[in-house]
Amino acid sequence: MFGKGLVKGLQITWKEFWAPKLTVQYPEKQHTVPERFHGKFVLDVDKCIACGLCANACPNRVISLNKQKVGKKQYLTDYQMNIQYCLFCGLCVESCNKDALHFTKDFNMNQYFYKNIPLVLVRREAPAEPLEEPAMGGEDQPKPKLKPQAPKEEKVAKPAAPAAESEAAAGKEGQ
Amino acid sequence: MLRTQEYVLNFGPQHPSTHGVFQILLTLDGERIVKAEPICGYLHRGIEKLAEARTYTQVIPYTDRMDYLAAMLQNVGYVQAVEKLMGIEVPERAEYLRVISGELSRLTSHVLATGVYALDVGGFTGFLLCFREREKMMDLLEELTGSRMTLSYARIGGVADDVTEGWLDKLNKLMDEMPGYIEEYNGLITGNEIFQARTKFVGQLTPETCINYSLSGPVLRASGVNYDLRKAMPYGIYDRFDFEVPLGTNGDCFDRFYCRVLEMEQSVRIIKQAIEQIKEVDGPVMAKVPKVLKPPKGEVYHEIESSKGIIGYYIVSDGTNKPYRLHVRRPSFINLGYLDEMLRGYLIADVVAILGSIDIVLGEVDC
Repeated sequence: MFGKGLVKGLQITWKEFWAPKLTVQYPEKQHTVPERFHGKFVLDVDKCIACGLCANACPNRVISLNKQKVGKKQYLTDYQMNIQYCLFCGLCVESCNKDALHFTKDFNMNQYFYKNIPLVLVRREAPAEPLEEPAMGGEDQPKPKLKPQAPKEEKVAKPAAPAAESEAAAGKEGQ
Repeated sequence: MLRTQEYVLNFGPQHPSTHGVFQILLTLDGERIVKAEPICGYLHRGIEKLAEARTYTQVIPYTDRMDYLAAMLQNVGYVQAVEKLMGIEVPERAEYLRVISGELSRLTSHVLATGVYALDVGGFTGFLLCFREREKMMDLLEELTGSRMTLSYARIGGVADDVTEGWLDKLNKLMDEMPGYIEEYNGLITGNEIFQARTKFVGQLTPETCINYSLSGPVLRASGVNYDLRKAMPYGIYDRFDFEVPLGTNGDCFDRFYCRVLEMEQSVRIIKQAIEQIKEVDGPVMAKVPKVLKPPKGEVYHEIESSKGIIGYYIVSDGTNKPYRLHVRRPSFINLGYLDEMLRGYLIADVVAILGSIDIVLGEVDC
């Protein structure tokens, strides 16, 4: 009989009309984001040894990093991701041997100005050479202990300030 | 003197039912189509050329972006081609995960095709209901891979990561609900008389033309040609699953649509069997492969059954860590080949119905 299918379709529509709503009012309510979500990147600066494996793994050459030799170690001075070209494939995170690069659940990377789009994860000055040299020139025994400790404090103290500043500036301009 | 003359109508590239940026120059006689000239290439990114400057692993994210509706199947096709070239054995658990995520990808693609086809011929409710289930599947894929559509989950030698705790149970629950949802689609879309009037005996394809034009996927099977690579030439571990290949009889728009609905049921069957079987398979999800992949000199062609048809990857290796040449046989592009003759003689309103029934993805057509 013609029209039977239409009535059946309307019955389904009627049933769905009373079904609970699945949509959420987005900015106020948000869905939970899974653990493995490919969102904004974070770099654990203390773990990073500036090897550049992530930059090599990237299919789109998104990551650019600069390093400087301080003493015997490579010191990461600049780590920038041109996030507008990022494919969010996760090959960089996977390539990291030191487990330093991570995804976060933050997906909102909108910027008001084009110049703010690149994600600057590290930007800092290398510690001054003289600070390093006494440690280098010291005896063999305290050298391995002193050397990592001295720049480590620098590392923790230094990146925090400029990073926060730049973020605050970006946020200001973004608004 | 008064006389009638043909005129040219631009269909697309911004027409919503072209599913992307696709243009057809329709030469019309009144409302009847005399000639249709498809113009593609608006979404061309040169993935094949880009691959020449990428390492074998780095090509994987680009394959996602061809058929972004069933990204896992594209990944698997490429990855299996490289594995064939290098002779890599894939761990069993990884094979199962590939099947599960691949079939889930196929389901998302078919659900979208079903819903969007309803929208193309004017039914909005069916579209919304289909997107509801697609959202659930994409949530599951997101939990597994981290991305919703461009998954990049397969790796050369396995998959990126094992399943998270409880993921398989969630998937199993959804697969139990799926037949009920498919019944809803059938009630709302397939059984609708207006829908049937719009699609039955429209854009018919005979089995001979399908084979001559090398069409594949649901478009081929709707004409009654029983050719599904999963059955005909089982790749991976598809020979371990019990499923059927749904076939159509008339080869019209309705059959092509209904073939996809029936294929959804089969995909659900495969996933359920895979969930049962994967529980007994433990072990790594990644084979031991070197960090720098240097396949031996030579070439390889590997094809798998994607949601749109047969997707084939042809790779030429010159012994370095980058492919010398990569070519992709894209089913959407080849299925479009017969569009001109398919459209001739039909009305403008049928253009949308016929084009929608082929289920093209422009990312894949233009590559």
